[in-house]
Amino acid sequence: MNSIATTLWLLCMFIDALGQMSFKAAATKVTDAEGLERWKEMLSNFWIWIGISCYVFEFFIWMAFLSMVPLAQGVLLSCLNIMTVMIGGRIFFGEKLTGKRIFSASLIAIGVSLVGWGA
Amino acid sequence: MLAGGLRKIFMRQFLIIGFIILLAFDTLSQVSFKLAGADTHPSVDLAWIMRVALDKWTYGAILGYVGAFVTWMSLLKHAPVGPAFAATHLHVVTVAVISFFLFGERFSLMQIIGSVFIIAGIFVLALGKTDRQI
Repeated sequence: MNSIATTLWLLCMFIDALGQMSFKAAATKVTDAEGLERWKEMLSNFWIWIGISCYVFEFFIWMAFLSMVPLAQGVLLSCLNIMTVMIGGRIFFGEKLTGKRIFSASLIAIGVSLVGWGA
Repeated sequence: MLAGGLRKIFMRQFLIIGFIILLAFDTLSQVSFKLAGADTHPSVDLAWIMRVALDKWTYGAILGYVGAFVTWMSLLKHAPVGPAFAATHLHVVTVAVISFFLFGERFSLMQIIGSVFIIAGIFVLALGKTDRQI
């Protein structure tokens, strides 16, 4: 992969993780409201709009990235988001890292390096 | 007892069909992304965004996303989250097969080994319940 493709890919993984964190932040906000009121409150939440913006932005970055690399390679490389979301969950929500999760993330990291740069 | 057995069989079929639909939607969106990218020649300007908005494959990608989201939410009601999570990433396999035939993409030996690592990682994450926490 050339440096532009690599930059787009890293940007995509970062925006994806940021989007997931934002949705999680919006969804876990404690509220007493139910039904339609809950949705109204959610839609007035700052984080949900950050999340939606991330997804819209990612849509275009991802398309640009895929136009530069073979599809199968690009889609396999996107699995790195499993790792970035795991790390984000740990940092921002104090989610536990189990041995299994670390092992799985290591396998994915090795795989991603081989798929990305083992041509 | 008979009714319970039948319900179990139906549930299993429901899950299998659900996962196949999820896989199909995820595959559709990624193939559409690739085709939309090829159609519109990405550039850093408003003209590209306009080309994307007018390209038919953009809507294939959106349909795939929306379809996968709805299927995923329905599956989550009944499927254990570990295997369900793995299923959301298994389109890497179907996309690779389609890329081979449709786009003539070929992998080096190192890349094939890398793919096996990634798929193994997804499966490890899907297996069983959580273990010791750090």
